[in-house]
Amino acid sequence: MNNMSPEVALHRISPELRPLLCSVVRNGRVGLDSTNCLRVTDLKTGCTSLTPGPSCDRFKLHIPYAGETLKWDIIFNARYPELPPDFIFGEDAEFLPEPSELPHLVHWDAENPECLLQLVKELIQQYHQYQCQRLRESSRLLFEYDSLLEDPNYGRNMEIYAGRKNSWTGEFSARFLLKLPVDFSNIPIYLLKDTALDPGEDVALLSVSFEDAEATQVFPKLYLSPSIEHALGGSSALHIPAFPSGGCLIDYVPQVCQLLTNKVQYVIQGYHKRREYIAAFLSHFGMGVVEYDAEGFTKLTLLLMWKDFCFLVHVDLPLYFPRDQPTLTFQSVYHFTNSGQLYSQVQKSYPYSPRWDGNEMAKRAKAYFKSFIPQFQEGAFANGKL
Amino acid sequence: MAASISGYTFTSVCYHSANSNSDHEGFLLGDVRQEETVSISDTQISSAELLQVVEIHNHDPCAHLFSFYDYAGKINEENLNSILKDRRKNVIGWYRFRRNTQQQMSFREQIIHKQLTQLLGVPDLVFLLFSFISTANSSTHALEYVLFRPNRRYNQRITLTIPNLGNTSQQEYKVSSVPNTSLNYAKVIKEHGAEFFDKDGVMKDIRTIFQVYSALQDKVQAVCGEVEQSERVKEKIQEDVNKLKQQIALRKRKTAEEERRLREAQNADSHSTPEENTEPPEASLLSRITFHSPSAPERPSTSPNPPSYTDLLSQDDSLLSSSSPPTSAALLPRPQAVGSPGHPTPGPLGMGLGLGLGLGLGAISNPVTTPSTPYLGNGDGSSSDSLDRHAAGQEDDEDDDDDDDEEDEDSSEYENLVSEGAHLPMVSASVLAQGRPAALSPDGDARGSQTT
Repeated sequence: MNNMSPEVALHRISPELRPLLCSVVRNGRVGLDSTNCLRVTDLKTGCTSLTPGPSCDRFKLHIPYAGETLKWDIIFNARYPELPPDFIFGEDAEFLPEPSELPHLVHWDAENPECLLQLVKELIQQYHQYQCQRLRESSRLLFEYDSLLEDPNYGRNMEIYAGRKNSWTGEFSARFLLKLPVDFSNIPIYLLKDTALDPGEDVALLSVSFEDAEATQVFPKLYLSPSIEHALGGSSALHIPAFPSGGCLIDYVPQVCQLLTNKVQYVIQGYHKRREYIAAFLSHFGMGVVEYDAEGFTKLTLLLMWKDFCFLVHVDLPLYFPRDQPTLTFQSVYHFTNSGQLYSQVQKSYPYSPRWDGNEMAKRAKAYFKSFIPQFQEGAFANGKL
Repeated sequence: MAASISGYTFTSVCYHSANSNSDHEGFLLGDVRQEETVSISDTQISSAELLQVVEIHNHDPCAHLFSFYDYAGKINEENLNSILKDRRKNVIGWYRFRRNTQQQMSFREQIIHKQLTQLLGVPDLVFLLFSFISTANSSTHALEYVLFRPNRRYNQRITLTIPNLGNTSQQEYKVSSVPNTSLNYAKVIKEHGAEFFDKDGVMKDIRTIFQVYSALQDKVQAVCGEVEQSERVKEKIQEDVNKLKQQIALRKRKTAEEERRLREAQNADSHSTPEENTEPPEASLLSRITFHSPSAPERPSTSPNPPSYTDLLSQDDSLLSSSSPPTSAALLPRPQAVGSPGHPTPGPLGMGLGLGLGLGLGAISNPVTTPSTPYLGNGDGSSSDSLDRHAAGQEDDEDDDDDDDEEDEDSSEYENLVSEGAHLPMVSASVLAQGRPAALSPDGDARGSQTT
């Protein structure tokens, strides 16, 4: 019941309500965290138990919000599908939105499949306001909120969750979830394509948890959508500086933003640099190029000959090229190792400088090949078998 | 706060709810009363507890959802009035039934509740939530109900009790104070009520019983008066009797003195024949009677202890066989009846008559009275009465035996003694008659009559 796939839910719900649920389950994305879509569980019926067929008309909707998951009960009546639903807001017993702020409730149109989804979005907005109201219990956090609100970059893309962590001690806590205005559009597509999941929107979210009202315990965390995370080099890319004690969000958040932006820029630059590198090699070695990665420009294979000795050179360009040095793998075309592979040698350190441009790197690489090949040839003859 | 709902209202709501194919709602009618309990204990002077009790008498189901509110949850007062009509003032809450949902007020329910509180003017409006939970395979169904008072901040849930349901330790059927609002019932009671109730609304039986009680009370009061009077009369008579007895004793002493002087004089002259002593029994009787009765009052003064039975026997012998001086006979103690205490209290003369006669063999041979008499072996004077009778019969030989036997069967001692009392010139019949009843009572008087 808990891990119900959307299709199962749609199958069990009453036919008249199906379109409404469909839009929620299939396309429903509310809030900043659009990677987690809305989930439906605990489908029950409000009709008598003898009613045949799919007749479920009430369910629990899981909505990700500010790092939490809201579990709201939505109650329809299958016998009267034209009527608007009722809600139970789970543990937030004090959340009572003003119906006038919910136009999709006041003008409920059961014929519109998007109506429920829109209503849920409006409710989330009201919920957000309700949570911001609760921030008033802590002046410090209220200040944080207000300062962020003023900044147009962050003000409109914020989700707050405030509440008492522990009802006994009355420890007040809050979580700010901010969408970072980082431009990911220039990230090369090849980087983003490589994910199994539907990537959705590329988003970076910064979650800052205040464990106490005085902001002495602050835990920031960066969430990237999977494609971005992959594009930026995996979870190691998520290292962000710790929240400075006594600092404010309004100072910290731009900091993180900048860091992320720099990283993105670097990745973009790296892409371009690699492209430049490959282009240079192509022009220098011309016919010697066997193959290269034309998309990501991460690999290049050359077939070269020196004094009737043919060999292959594989060039692997790292992600943070040109900061990191490309790996050169020399491979003999004649000799085999004991395991049946072609004899090869890897060279990671050779004369290199990241400040050279593509042409320079190609020239220097050529020079290096000439100097290294005799060594390699000897090694191949000595260790390899024909 | 406590709340209760009558069993039939509860089942009616459940019935309406369970038969609906969707959510269901309606209004609860009833009233709220305040109960104040003042408890006094040794540790504290008094403490008063104020309890608000909500009683749900009836319910008014709504025909369909959204019947008095719109999509936004705003109540339409006209629709509300058309649903409630004149029952509006009795509304104390509303209820809602929904299947397979949590026991928590929903968004719309809270909005509606706020508005209802204001519109109906009930500050503590209650909300009864029914929730019907079924297991997945429909094997188990549970009907849960919770009563909320959402207008309070804390303790929002109240326990709802259904009288006569659930508590098996309760022995009797609790009657609730729910007023019966049925028109039919009111009609029937009005028609037939006159047979049971009078014009004031009090049950007739109660009045009748009260009248009986009053009559009995009056009678008792009257009897008390009569008893008092008779007691006083009896007192007076007792005084007279005592006076007369004293006079008699005095006179007896005088005559005894004279007689003694005479006898002394006579003895000196000649011997008296025994026939003279065996004079007609009436004469001896008379003398004995006259002497015996004073002996009774004499007894307590002269000898506090009654003479033993052996003494009696010896004296009896002397009485019958030989010529005992009437004086000695007069001084002879009366035989005690079996089982009677030997209290030598003064008794009526009639008693003395029988006893005097019974001093003879009759008394010896048949100390116990025949079983035919009702007073056998009793400690009161009645047994001695029969003894007297028997002795009297034997004294008079067979002539009186039959009479006495007959008389023993059915006649009371009273009749006996009345006939014999004719021989007592010194004693007035009224005294005898008056004294007779006293013999019947098991008090000192009767006992006294048995003994000498």
